[in-house]
Amino acid sequence: MIIMRIRHICSGSRFIALVALFFLFIPFSKSFAGTKTPPDQNPSVIITPDKQFNYAESLFSNNDYSTAVMEFKRFIYFFPEDQRVERAMYQTGMSYYLGGDFKTAVDSFQKLIDEYVDTDDAIKSYFKISDAYMKLNALDPAIINLNNLIVVAHNEDVRDEAYYRLGWIYLETASWEEGRRYFSKISVKNKDKYRLETLSAELEKEKLIPKKNPKLAGFLSVIPGAGYFYCERYQDALIAFLINGALIYAAYESFDGGNPALGGLLTFVEVGFYAGNIYGAVTGAHKYNRKKTGLFLERLKDNVKINLSADVKNKGVCLSFQFGF
Amino acid sequence: MKIRFGFIIGCAILNVCWSSACARQEMNLTDHPKGLHVAAEKQGSPLLYPFKFYRDYISNVDGDRCPMYPTCSQYCMDAIKKHGSLTGWIMCSDRLMRCGRDETKLSAPVWINGEQRNYDPVSNNDFWRQ
Repeated sequence: MIIMRIRHICSGSRFIALVALFFLFIPFSKSFAGTKTPPDQNPSVIITPDKQFNYAESLFSNNDYSTAVMEFKRFIYFFPEDQRVERAMYQTGMSYYLGGDFKTAVDSFQKLIDEYVDTDDAIKSYFKISDAYMKLNALDPAIINLNNLIVVAHNEDVRDEAYYRLGWIYLETASWEEGRRYFSKISVKNKDKYRLETLSAELEKEKLIPKKNPKLAGFLSVIPGAGYFYCERYQDALIAFLINGALIYAAYESFDGGNPALGGLLTFVEVGFYAGNIYGAVTGAHKYNRKKTGLFLERLKDNVKINLSADVKNKGVCLSFQFGF
Repeated sequence: MKIRFGFIIGCAILNVCWSSACARQEMNLTDHPKGLHVAAEKQGSPLLYPFKFYRDYISNVDGDRCPMYPTCSQYCMDAIKKHGSLTGWIMCSDRLMRCGRDETKLSAPVWINGEQRNYDPVSNNDFWRQ
């Protein structure tokens, strides 16, 4: 009983001590809170042209192209008098280009060209437009664009680069003579820079590309499978010969056995396969030529094509080539 | 193989018959460069029903074994959509003869559902006509 009372007194005094401590700390906590500076009710950050442009550039260099586009556009909108607006427009186009949106990149570069004439970035924009068209596999607009550049450019180095690029576009379509014609227009002083001597020597080998004549392939297909055989498709040739032979024989037997309905049906099917055999042989010849030409072009590019940086300020080309043995 | 082959041949016969019945209509449609293709899509593609039937019902049971991509039935449908019934049928016959042989060594490989196929779309066989 006495022990219980003592415990009760002890717990009561502990409770009073805790309450006392609580009240003791209230003023301290308030005083600490009061020492804090009041938050600024109207925070403001001043964005200078430098800050905005550098931010956009940092996004661009970090490959965040979609955000970089927004920030470059913001820069152009808020600081239209800044000297770097043209650069920002070019970088906008580059962001679209590197982000894979080639169509919008073309529009963006075109906008720059419309506003700025014959500046470094405008000339680079011409080159990038043709690159974007090439990525879109639209060769004709790429050619037209480079021809426009040749007309407006005053700098001989720029014109030479345009001729060089045009030559390669024509080579891509296996238009060898057109390609040679544009390479020949490059000025004498830049002939070494573009390695034209080596290029023309390598181009001469174009005549050695093995080719199949599609007309001959089609003609040979009069004998089923012979056209495929000519195109070095030996298994296809055998199958075409067997299917067509079997169908012709079956149709003959049907007519001969007094079953013209079946014979007519088989003839009808055979006509499709016979025509397919001719069509396939002609296509096979075209495919063969395309493949061999593609291989030749790949080798030519690896051996003699110079990668152009489109950096006019640094005199146009960045020499980068290799030669395979 | 026999079932597939026979069915595709049957489909093609039906297609050509249908095309002759619709000849007049097609004449008008081909005034537009992509007339037939658009028409086939808009009309609910009656020319293509047999191929669709084969692909959706028979091939599902028979097994998808065509080593090419697109498969022969899909290729035939694409060819008919793009070039009309006659040329489509000829291209289809050509493809059936080439399927799984030399083309596997010449066409680019693609991976479909973890299986290697050979990429041979219609555009790979009509590029020279454009």
